[in-house]
Amino acid sequence: MGCDIVTVSTDTKFVHKAWQENEKELAKVKYSMGADRSGKLSRAFGVYDEDSGLDLRGTFIINPQGILMNMEMNFYNLGRNIDEMMRKFKANLYLSKKANEACPSKWKDEGDKTLTPSAKMVGKVHEALQGK
Amino acid sequence: MSEIKLGAKVSDFEIETYEAAKGDFDKFSLKQQMDKKRWTILFFYPADFTFV
Repeated sequence: MGCDIVTVSTDTKFVHKAWQENEKELAKVKYSMGADRSGKLSRAFGVYDEDSGLDLRGTFIINPQGILMNMEMNFYNLGRNIDEMMRKFKANLYLSKKANEACPSKWKDEGDKTLTPSAKMVGKVHEALQGK
Repeated sequence: MSEIKLGAKVSDFEIETYEAAKGDFDKFSLKQQMDKKRWTILFFYPADFTFV
């Protein structure tokens, strides 16, 4: 899909290695594990918790032109839903090829109903979603 | 680097990485991704050895 995932925490790359090699849940990991010891990158993305020195659960989708297309942030006690992350990525990928369309909330994958905002659609979103 | 804004260019960054697939260390930079015309998903989490 032309996409790379980079996980980032404030641990060192050495700890990343030790964790990946020890934790069976991570046995099949293929992504890059980034080490942001200084917190510089985490601060720039607004996920750095100055009190704990840890990162909050933030996900950011950046397109091939380096433009930030999506951001999501959860507090420590709420995990992220990978299906929702994939939905957002697929929508971004689709919209990068169909600039005049929009993916509504129920859009899941290519082939699902999209909207093409126009003067005709004002006040008629319901009809547009029904495909009438 | 400057703070991020949705819909705006992210300033270039580089971080050290562990590449599990190769069992080796490397570096990741946004410029490199742009040169390769690839998307990037940055996934921040609190700490290794905890749930993600």
